Amino acid sequence: MLTNYPALGIFFLITIAFPVTAMGLAWLFRPKPKAAPDDEKFTTYECGVNTQGKTWIRFKVNYFLYALVFLAFDVEIVFLYPWAVKFGVLGPFAFIEMIIFIAILLIGLWYAWKEGALEWY
Amino acid sequence: MDISLLLTEIMVALLGLLVLVLGLALPARGKTVVNRFALLGMIAILAYSITAFSQKASFFNGVYQIDMFGSYFKLLFLSAGILVMLMAGKYISRFEEKSSEFYGLMILATLGMMLMSSAGEFITLYVGLELMTISFYILTAYLQNDKLSAEAGLKYLILGAVSSAILLFGISLVYAMTGTTMFTEIAAAFTMQPALLAGVVLIIAGFAFKISVVPFHMWTPDIYQGAPIPITTYLSVGSKAAGFAALVRVFMVAINGADASFDWSMLLAILAALTIIIGNLIALSQKDVKRLLAYSSIAQAGYILVGVVAANSFGLKGVLFYAMIYVFANTGAFAVATAVEVDTGKTGIEAFAGLSKRSPMLAAIMTICMLSLAGIPPMAGFAGKFYLFAGAVQNGYLWLAVIGLIMSMVSVYYYLGVSKAMYIGENENDSPVLTTGGSTVALWICVLATILLGVYPGPLSELAGYAIQILM
Repeated sequence: MLTNYPALGIFFLITIAFPVTAMGLAWLFRPKPKAAPDDEKFTTYECGVNTQGKTWIRFKVNYFLYALVFLAFDVEIVFLYPWAVKFGVLGPFAFIEMIIFIAILLIGLWYAWKEGALEWY
Repeated sequence: MDISLLLTEIMVALLGLLVLVLGLALPARGKTVVNRFALLGMIAILAYSITAFSQKASFFNGVYQIDMFGSYFKLLFLSAGILVMLMAGKYISRFEEKSSEFYGLMILATLGMMLMSSAGEFITLYVGLELMTISFYILTAYLQNDKLSAEAGLKYLILGAVSSAILLFGISLVYAMTGTTMFTEIAAAFTMQPALLAGVVLIIAGFAFKISVVPFHMWTPDIYQGAPIPITTYLSVGSKAAGFAALVRVFMVAINGADASFDWSMLLAILAALTIIIGNLIALSQKDVKRLLAYSSIAQAGYILVGVVAANSFGLKGVLFYAMIYVFANTGAFAVATAVEVDTGKTGIEAFAGLSKRSPMLAAIMTICMLSLAGIPPMAGFAGKFYLFAGAVQNGYLWLAVIGLIMSMVSVYYYLGVSKAMYIGENENDSPVLTTGGSTVALWICVLATILLGVYPGPLSELAGYAIQILM
């Protein structure tokens, strides 16, 4: 049954061959240094200037909380759009359904507000 | 489409939201009222769900199925939730002002389990699964000043996310090959192809993580040990039963029997055998009762998986029967462990030394529950294992039943190790271990159910028999 997947197999082989070829050619053509590499050679290559201070610092959790609250309403909009477009056809049942949906999200917002997720401290 | 058939789920959702809102809106003194309200609400919903047991309906073209199989598991989740809420007792005071949110999240986790057991389609199943696991991520890390609890929460979050990704990848492959996520339509479009095979294997791996089957069990001991004990209990009985409910429905409706060219049950049989052997053998060397119960719960998952392997009426009946009695036996054992941890602050076996002199009742209940887990008659565990292994033998898996029997005998050693400490061990402290009214009630329910269902398994097994009719 594996005969059904020749394309996948070729793709897989190319995926392996590509990085091997690229790195092999680079190794072949690059200038070979005579002296042993110093510390500067071993620093991680990055665009721009060197980082200042430690990178493993703690970020404020508030960013995350804002993102969560934002996400809740972002998803709400996704559901509201098709509902609004079809509102005339769907009738009162869909209206009540959407009110319940928004009410649950509002409870979430109220909860986050009351817990202090919207304070910046 | 009759919305009133969804009343159980709607009530659980409303109760969860109400408890969260009230817990935040009321002043500190009102919180105990909210906790009582949560418990009473759950009991009322359980009573309603018993009356709604035989309802049958299919929502949104089969996306959500109301049937006896789902109803049976809903009863299981609700009773497990109520027992855990009762047995939490004095442990709740460790959560300080966050106690009502604890109840709210427990109720939402229960809702997630209910969705899992009734889903007739993969996306709905996945939403239920995430509702359950996200609630558990929070609850596992609930002891805010306890490093072990925080570690357990983080580990569960990372490993849970990986397992969800594996499950989703499997679902996406199955969707790609069959063009549908509905279980019944997958069964119709099922033709053996490598990509579909990979998809099903990934789905089984995703479920195996949730029910902690070897080799996907590594997370279990650390998380069971670090989490607050009531949550450990709920994880081991509720989350596991929900995983089995979903696995049985997916396996029986979508995968098994659709195409006979690949023997899925052999794959599950090997997993079950590995789980039973490794779970029991590692449990032998445990010194901490929470870890011991964690490894024992891995082994128990292996026993229940034997019923899924058998996939005949005996085996599936055994799965449902065993999942229910496992709730009582395991909650009873954990309730005693909770009382001891509240009293001594420790969960090592030495903390249980001399318990028979301090609180003879607790020691007796612990012993009875442990014997039920080991499968000694006349406890309920024996009847459950009888169904499971009988199903396996009927379906030609004699070797699996033999492994199960031998490892059950091995398990008696570590279960009785705790009893030995309780009855022979010495403890200079001889004041009785105090339990609250709620946890006393929970302990009595657990021990009575364990003995009664062992002596007279008829009614529950009949109920399980009705529940699996939909799958046969």
